[in-house]
Amino acid sequence: MAEETRAAVETVHITIDGMELDVPKGTRILDAAAMAGSDVPHYCYHPGLTAPAQCRMCLVEIEKVPKLQPACVATVADGNVIHTQSAKALEARKGVLEFYLVNHPLDCPVCDQSGECKLQDYTSAEGRAIGRSLEPKRVLGRDDFGGDVTFYADRCVMCTRCVRFMREVAQDERLTVVQRGHRAVIDTFFDEGLDGNIWADNIVDICPVGALVSKDFLHKARAWDLDRTPSICPNCTQGCNVRLETRDNQVQRIKPRPNPEVNSHWMCDYGRLNYEWINRGARIEAPLVRGADGTLQAVSWSEALTKLAAALQSSGGDSRAVVSPFMANEDIGLLRRVMDSTGGGGGVYRCQTGEEVVLPGFPTLALRTDRAANVHGAELFGFARAGGADGLGGLEAAAGHTGALWVLGDELGDAPEGFGSAARVFVYLGHFLSPAARNAHFVLPATTFAEMEGTFTNVQKRVQRFWPALQAPGMSRPAWQILGVLLAGIGEAAPVATAADAFASLGGVRPEFAAIAWGDLGQAGVPLGSFAEAGD
Amino acid sequence: MSAGHTGADSPPTSWPAARQNPGFAGDTGEFAQLSEAEVRGSAYVGERPRDGGHASVAGTLPYQVGTNNGEAPIFVGEYEERLQKILSRYPDRQNALLPALHMAHEIRGYLSAATMDEVAARLELSPAYVRGVASFYTMYNLGPVGKYLIQVCTNISCNLCGGDAVFEAFLKHTGTEAGETSANGLWTVMEVECLGACGFPTAVQINERYYENIRPEDVPAVLERLT
Amino acid sequence: MAYPYTHPKEVRLLSKYFGDPEARTLKGWEERGGYQALRKALGTPRDEIVNTVKASGLRGRGGAGFPTGMKWGFMPKKVPGTPHYLICNADESEPGTFKDRELMRWTPHALIEGCVIGAYAINAEHAYIYIRGEFFEAAQVMARAIEEAYAAGYLGKDIQGSGVDIDLTLHLGAGAYICGEETGLLNSLEGRRGEPRVKPPYPAIAGAFGKPTAVNNVESLIAAAHIVLNGADWYKQWGTEKSVGTKLFCVSGHVKRPGNYEVPLGFNFKEFIYDVCGGTPDGRPIKAVIPGGSSVPILTADELDIGMDYEAMAAAGTMLGCGSVIVMDDTTNIVKQVRRMVDFYAHESCGQCTPCREGTAWAAKILRRMEQGRGVADDIDTLLAISENMSGRTICVLSDAAAAPITSSIEKFRADYEALMALEPGLVGAGLTGAAHGSIR
Repeated sequence: MAEETRAAVETVHITIDGMELDVPKGTRILDAAAMAGSDVPHYCYHPGLTAPAQCRMCLVEIEKVPKLQPACVATVADGNVIHTQSAKALEARKGVLEFYLVNHPLDCPVCDQSGECKLQDYTSAEGRAIGRSLEPKRVLGRDDFGGDVTFYADRCVMCTRCVRFMREVAQDERLTVVQRGHRAVIDTFFDEGLDGNIWADNIVDICPVGALVSKDFLHKARAWDLDRTPSICPNCTQGCNVRLETRDNQVQRIKPRPNPEVNSHWMCDYGRLNYEWINRGARIEAPLVRGADGTLQAVSWSEALTKLAAALQSSGGDSRAVVSPFMANEDIGLLRRVMDSTGGGGGVYRCQTGEEVVLPGFPTLALRTDRAANVHGAELFGFARAGGADGLGGLEAAAGHTGALWVLGDELGDAPEGFGSAARVFVYLGHFLSPAARNAHFVLPATTFAEMEGTFTNVQKRVQRFWPALQAPGMSRPAWQILGVLLAGIGEAAPVATAADAFASLGGVRPEFAAIAWGDLGQAGVPLGSFAEAGD
Repeated sequence: MSAGHTGADSPPTSWPAARQNPGFAGDTGEFAQLSEAEVRGSAYVGERPRDGGHASVAGTLPYQVGTNNGEAPIFVGEYEERLQKILSRYPDRQNALLPALHMAHEIRGYLSAATMDEVAARLELSPAYVRGVASFYTMYNLGPVGKYLIQVCTNISCNLCGGDAVFEAFLKHTGTEAGETSANGLWTVMEVECLGACGFPTAVQINERYYENIRPEDVPAVLERLT
Repeated sequence: MAYPYTHPKEVRLLSKYFGDPEARTLKGWEERGGYQALRKALGTPRDEIVNTVKASGLRGRGGAGFPTGMKWGFMPKKVPGTPHYLICNADESEPGTFKDRELMRWTPHALIEGCVIGAYAINAEHAYIYIRGEFFEAAQVMARAIEEAYAAGYLGKDIQGSGVDIDLTLHLGAGAYICGEETGLLNSLEGRRGEPRVKPPYPAIAGAFGKPTAVNNVESLIAAAHIVLNGADWYKQWGTEKSVGTKLFCVSGHVKRPGNYEVPLGFNFKEFIYDVCGGTPDGRPIKAVIPGGSSVPILTADELDIGMDYEAMAAAGTMLGCGSVIVMDDTTNIVKQVRRMVDFYAHESCGQCTPCREGTAWAAKILRRMEQGRGVADDIDTLLAISENMSGRTICVLSDAAAAPITSSIEKFRADYEALMALEPGLVGAGLTGAAHGSIR
C-alpha cells in the first residue's frame, strides 16, 4: 500500500451540553453541537454559503463569556463549556422566534413549506405559544421572480440565503435586499428576474420557510405525504445526488442531496424539473414472445427466458446492440456479458447533447453536454456513440443486422420501419412498446432506474448507487436481473439475484469495477480506479 | 404633571435673544440681505469644479442641481474625469459606488432603474447589487422630487422645540402632502432624522443647504426667498 | 463674529476658534499655531506617539469611550505590502449631537492634522474622512482645506520633507445613521449596504478593504493632535483620573442657551445645565434630561448632581455616550418623545438582525398607539419584554440603544404611560389577528 502522510489535526477539548468532546481547532460551535447530538436552530447559516450571523437564531451560552454567541460563526476554544439548551439560551431564542412571528402571516394551511418548515419546527420546539403583537401585520404580497420561482414576500424571514447563493455560488447576482430595517424586502433588479439562470431553483431548496417556492410544485403535494428516496439525477452525466420525492407512486419533485465530491448541495433546474418522463404510463407489463402465428403473446418469465436461451444457443454469429445511456451499469454490463458469451459483437448508444453550464461557485458541478446519466457506463462496457446531437439517428448498422439484435432501454422512436426484421433473434428489453419494438421476437419489460437498485457511472467516473422510489409496473424486472437469469440459463454463470451480485459480476467485464465492493458505495459513491493503485 | 396632558407642541415662549448660528451661509431666519453667493456658500468656498478638483475631494459634489433630467449623460466629459479621480482613491471599483451614485443623482436628480443600470455597467457590478445599495440610503431619491426638496428634522431635539409645527407649516405653505411633490413641481416636503444642528432648532435642509432656527412663522419667508 | 454662546467656565481647547472665519483657511490656521502638532509628530517615532496618546488617557469621543491610544496599539506590526488605514468617523448622526459638524466647519485644518498624526501613528499611508452626506457645507469647507493642505505639502508625498507619505480622501455618506457604527461605516466605505459586520475579526486585523484599520471620531483625532503637541501630562490637568481631558458637550432642547460647550470631564452636570446653559428658557422645572444622546437612559431632574464623566454616568445608571445633553422641561410629553426616538431607530435599523428589525418597528407601533390614547394594559409589559429581547442579542448595539429610552422612561415616568392608557382603555382598533382578540381587556 502506498505510504500516506497525514497531517496531524490540532484538536481542542470542550464540553457541550454536558458531553466532553475533542474537536478540530476552528470548528464552529454549531457543528460541534451536531457532533454531540444537539441541533442548534439556525436560518442564515448554510454550509455551502458564507455565514453572516444575522438571523440570531443560533445563540448559545458559553460559560465565562458575558454575551450569548452565535454558534454559526463562533469557533470552539480549548476548555469551552457550552450550553445550547440553557435557560438563557432558550429564553433568547424564544424571544427571537417571537420577533419572527410579529409580521409572519399564519399561512401554514396554504403554504407549501408546511411540514418541512424551519419556522414551524423551531417555534413548536422553542417558541411562545401565543404571540403578543396586537399590531396589524406588514403586507407585501407575492412576486413572480421568473423561472420556476415565486416569492411570497410576507413569509420571508430575511435570512438572505437566497441573495448569498446567487452572489457566491451562482455568481450571477440577481437578488438583493431592497430598503433597510423593517421595510427591507428581497427583490430582483425590477423586472429582470431570475430567467436564464439554470441554478435558480436552489434558492427554493435553501429557503427555510415558504417564501421562495417552486411554481412547478405549487400546491401539488404535502411534505408529510411524500416518500423520499436517495437516487441519482438521470438527466445528464454529472450524476447529482438527489432524492426522488414520491406520492401515489409518482415522482412529485426532485431535490438535491449533498455530496461534497459531486454536486455540493446543489443541482440545476434542467435536471430538477425533468422528471415527468419517469412517471410515464403505458408501460409494457408482461414478457411478450412472438408466436408461430407471428403475433406477440404475453407469457411467463420462465417461458420467455427459456425460449430466449434456446433461440440464442441455436443461432451463431455475432450480435449488435442499441443501448440507452439511461440504463444502469449493471444492465449494460450484463448485456455485454451476454453478448460476449454468444459470439461477441458491438453496439451503439444515442444521447441528446446540449450546452455545458458550469456552476461558477462550485465548478466541479455543471449541467453536462451529455444529457443522460450513464453515458460513461455505456462507453466502459464497449458501446460507442452514434447519431446526432438530438439523440436520434445512428441506427443503420442495427436496423438491418442479421444476427442477434439487442435493444436495451432505447425506445427506438425514430427507427425506420422494418427495423430489426432481418435479425435472427431480436430482443427488446425496454419500457414502451414502440412500433419498432413490435418487430422484436422477445419483448421483455424492464424497470427504469427509479424502480430498482443499481449504479450509474458519472462524468468523473464515479460509481453511484440509486434506490427504488417507485413500484415496478406489472411484471417488469430490472434488466440486470433478466440478463443475469438468462446468463445462468445459457450456462454461463450462477444466477444473479440481487443488485450486489450484479455489480460484483461487472468486475469480470471491466477490472476497475472489481476493485470496488458493493458495500463501499454507500450513499456517496466511489470513484472508479481509486483503489487500482492501492491494490498492487 | 396632570393625567391626560399631552404636552406642548410650540416652543418655549422666551427664545434666547441671539438665535444665530453664524455659519458661512448665515443660516438664520432672516436672510433677505444675503447674496445668492452667500446663501449658496460660494462666497467662501467658491464654485466647485464639475471635474471634482483635487482627486482627494473629487467624491464630494458641487450642488444638488435638482434638475430631474433622466436623459442627461453621466460618465462623459468632466464627470468621467471626476470618476477617474475617485477611482484612483480606492483599491476596488466597487468602493466608488456611493460617490458614483451621488454623481448620477446630481446630474439626473434621482436614481431610476435605467440610471442604476448605467452606474452598474460602468463599475462592472450587477444591477441588482446597485439597487440594493442605492435603496439602503435615504439621500438617494428613487423617484423624481420637486426642485426644492425640503427636509424637516422632527427628531427629539427639534421636536421639543416645535419641529412638528414647522413641518406642518411647510406642508401648508407649499400645499403638499408629506413626501408628495407639488403640482407646480417646485416643492417636496418630508420629515427626516437628526440633521446634526440640534442646538439651532428647528433645522431644515433644503437641497444641499441647512436652514436653522426656523419657526413656523419663518416658513413663508424661506419659501419666497427660494422662488 | 462671536459664536452663539460661550461661558467662562468652559475650557476651550478644541472649540477655541468656533465662530472665527479666518481659522478655516490654511493661512489663518498657521497664524493661530496650526500644523505645529503635525510637524512635531512626524519627527517623533510612531511608537512614541501611540504611547503618548495612551498615557494621556484620551478616550474615544464618538460615544464608546474606548481609549484611543489602546485602539492604535491594537494595530499589528506593519508588513510590507499590507496597507493600514485610518478612518475618521465624521458620520455624526446621533440625535442631539452636533459637535463634529462645528469642528469641521470652523477648524477643518485641525481635523486634517489629527488625521495625519493618527495615520502616521498606525503606519497608514491613506486616511479617509467618512462624512455624513447631509453635511454638504462642512464637506465643502473640509474639501477646500484639504486642497490647501495638499498644495502646501501637508498631505501627499514626503510631507514637509519628513519622508512620510499620507494621502487623505474625503468620502461622502448618503444618509444612514448605522454608518456611524464602526463596521457599518467600513462596509459603506467599500461601496456596500452599510450593514455592521460580525466581530471578530476586529477592524485592527481586517477592517477597510480587509486590511488593518483604526476608526476614530473627529473630536478624538483633534484632541490627539493637541496631546501630541503639548504632552500627555498637559492633558491630564483636566478631567478625572479615568475620564481625562475636556469634551465638547452638545446641548439642545429646553435650554436658554443651546449649543456646544467644552468643559473638563467630571464637571458637575447640574451646574452645567443651570449655570453654563442657563437652565430652561421660561424657568420651568426640568422633567428629564438625556445626558449622552438618544441611545442612553434618561435621567430625572433629581439625578443631575453627578459628574459629567464616564464612571459617574455609569454609576447613575446611564452613559456619557457622545455627550449630547437634551433637556426636557415639564411641558414635555415623554411618551411622544420616546415614540419619536424609537421611530428613529426603526427607521435607521439596517435590518440584518431579527430582534432589531422587528423589535424597533413593533415597539414604535405600540408607542404610537399609546400616544394616541389607545394603549392596553399589557402594553407596558410588552414594551419591557421587547426591550429585553432586543438587548445583547444582535451584531451591533442599535437595538440596545432603542431599548434604553423605553426601559428608562417606563421606569422613571411610568405614570405618564399609565395616564395615556386611562384616556381610552380597551379596544385597540382594526386589523387585529385572531390571537389578540382574546387578550383584550
